[in-house]
Amino acid sequence: MSSHSSRNETVDLADGVDHQVAMVMDLNKCIGCQTCTIACKTNWTDSGGREYMYWNNVETKPGAGYPKDWEELGGGWDDEGEERTPGELPEQDDYGAPWDFNHEQIMYEGSDEPLRPMDDAADWAPNWDEDEGAGEYPNSYYFYLPRICNHCTHPSCVEACPRSALYKREEDGIVLVDQDRCRGYRYCVEGCPYKKVYYNAMKKKSEKCIFCYPRIEGEGPEGEVRGPACAEDCPPQLRMVGYLDDEDGPIHKLVNEYEVAVRLHPEFRTEPNVYYIPPFAPPTHTQAGESTDEEPPTHTQAGESTDEERIPREYLEELFGPQVHDALDTINRERERVRRGGESELMELLNSDRSEKYRLEVFNEA
Amino acid sequence: MKRNELLLVGVLATLIAGAAVLLPPIAEAQTESGVPVEYVDNTNGLETPTGSGWEEIQTATLPLSSAGADVPSANDVTVEQIQVKAVRTNSQIRIRMSWTDPTRDMSESSVREFDDNVAIQLPADGEEEPPIAMGSPENPVNIWYWSGSGNSEELLAGGPGTTTPVNESTLRTEQAYENGRWHVMFTRPLDPRGDARTTIPREATDLNIAFAVWNGSNMEVAGQKSASQWHRLAVSSGPPPYERFLWVVAGVMIVVTTLLTIEGIRRTGGE
Ligand code: SF4
Ligand code: SF4
Repeated sequence: MSSHSSRNETVDLADGVDHQVAMVMDLNKCIGCQTCTIACKTNWTDSGGREYMYWNNVETKPGAGYPKDWEELGGGWDDEGEERTPGELPEQDDYGAPWDFNHEQIMYEGSDEPLRPMDDAADWAPNWDEDEGAGEYPNSYYFYLPRICNHCTHPSCVEACPRSALYKREEDGIVLVDQDRCRGYRYCVEGCPYKKVYYNAMKKKSEKCIFCYPRIEGEGPEGEVRGPACAEDCPPQLRMVGYLDDEDGPIHKLVNEYEVAVRLHPEFRTEPNVYYIPPFAPPTHTQAGESTDEEPPTHTQAGESTDEERIPREYLEELFGPQVHDALDTINRERERVRRGGESELMELLNSDRSEKYRLEVFNEA
Repeated sequence: MKRNELLLVGVLATLIAGAAVLLPPIAEAQTESGVPVEYVDNTNGLETPTGSGWEEIQTATLPLSSAGADVPSANDVTVEQIQVKAVRTNSQIRIRMSWTDPTRDMSESSVREFDDNVAIQLPADGEEEPPIAMGSPENPVNIWYWSGSGNSEELLAGGPGTTTPVNESTLRTEQAYENGRWHVMFTRPLDPRGDARTTIPREATDLNIAFAVWNGSNMEVAGQKSASQWHRLAVSSGPPPYERFLWVVAGVMIVVTTLLTIEGIRRTGGE
């Protein structure tokens, strides 16, 4: 790894990579609208063997995710981060195949039935367990987790391929599958612990998120430099896109200085470059209390707010590793400061406007 | 010519011709851990992988074992041997491989589905013995590759992970699956189209050849395969010697018979 020194921190980049693209997603703002999913799909995966693929997906947590139970399928690296730990290929059905509908019966056989999926067709789909979450009423909880390929610093998908068909781009660390070299062996599909490489059975090749590289290279609409479509199209604009080693950018500050943006499943040791601001939720209630609109929130009658966090820390730690505690504590502290009328650079960063959110031209040669 | 002499020539010619016809063909050389390539005038009976003509062709049975490549589950392989028969005509070589595989895997249409494959490896330069695992940059190999889901490919490789399809492949494949066995037939012109492709010689020559088989339902792919060591592909020369000898005898007989007839007519006419 090469190290770029910064004010207080060091940014680790993969060997032979000049800069590293990165994304920070603020999970507190995701409304689960799937606009990002559709933006990605219409750009890249709408046909040709890619129908089942969602390079960007948004799943409900706690939940089985996409593909189903992907967190149980292995892949990634051992504890030392040296040996790859082979994973399993998902079952095709666990991605959620497009359903068959009774079009034939209605349109050609004169059936009066309403249009509906054929028997047994509708038993799984991406985000099938939408909004189920966990916990007991009135303290149930869930949140949305948007996922793309993490363009990892230590990508096990790259290591897994015996043909070196996957590689990290030198200029920005984007991980790509060389379609000429790929022979559809699927070691990368098995090797990625996030299951973010997909097998295209029509092409007999593997395919994955390309971080919309034509857009960040200025080949997008109107020839402008644009962020990835999933980020630009997000209604609440919860994604920041830039370079991890851009020391003046918000991503560097959130990840390396404040350490409030954390990696999903750091224990897989692929060193993702998509980071998450972990989710907060209102504290639990003692009984069936309702919160009022007063600030700070209070609860009517029997329902009283407790100190207990609604989304259990243990669960967040399972997802984001032990660093999530410090991240949440820091955000809490800064939020309190603002509540008391103080100033917080961190809170401003998290609420920054669009111009700060996409810093993609900082390393362009003049 | 004296009448006695004429008779003698006739008798001798008849004897020689008779002996040549009646003597058993010169026994084919038995190849040890090799694959004999028999010469045939034409491919009658050998048009399909299960054509009756193949019964007449010698079989080489070769053991297979894990190729031991650097991929997960490399040693989890299922096919233990392969039967190989080979013929050539004046223009093409035809190799038929048969092996037992209880599952017929012909599709790769979903993420956990793998098809059955078989491949032949030959040195790009026929006289060489490249490293068995896909050759090396200095000493590349040709791979003739069949996949159950419908492709056949000619590939060039210079070491593991380097296989690259050649342009304008001239390899043809045909397969049949019967009674739990695959029979796959490769046909390629003796002369290669393009550089770095193996030439199959027309004179008697030994080339190195190796085989590999993948069982799709065991999710065998890439380096997870049953492979052979190098074996000798014993290419035989043109029409076999005894056949040429027969033609010589026949030629002599025609000349002698013609001479005898002319002489006979001349004598009859002269008396
Ligand atoms: S998320 Fe998976 S596919 Fe993407 S770079 Fe990391 S290991 Fe590779
Ligand atoms: S577009 Fe934004 S808000 Fe909507 S699901 Fe995607 S990340 Fe969440």
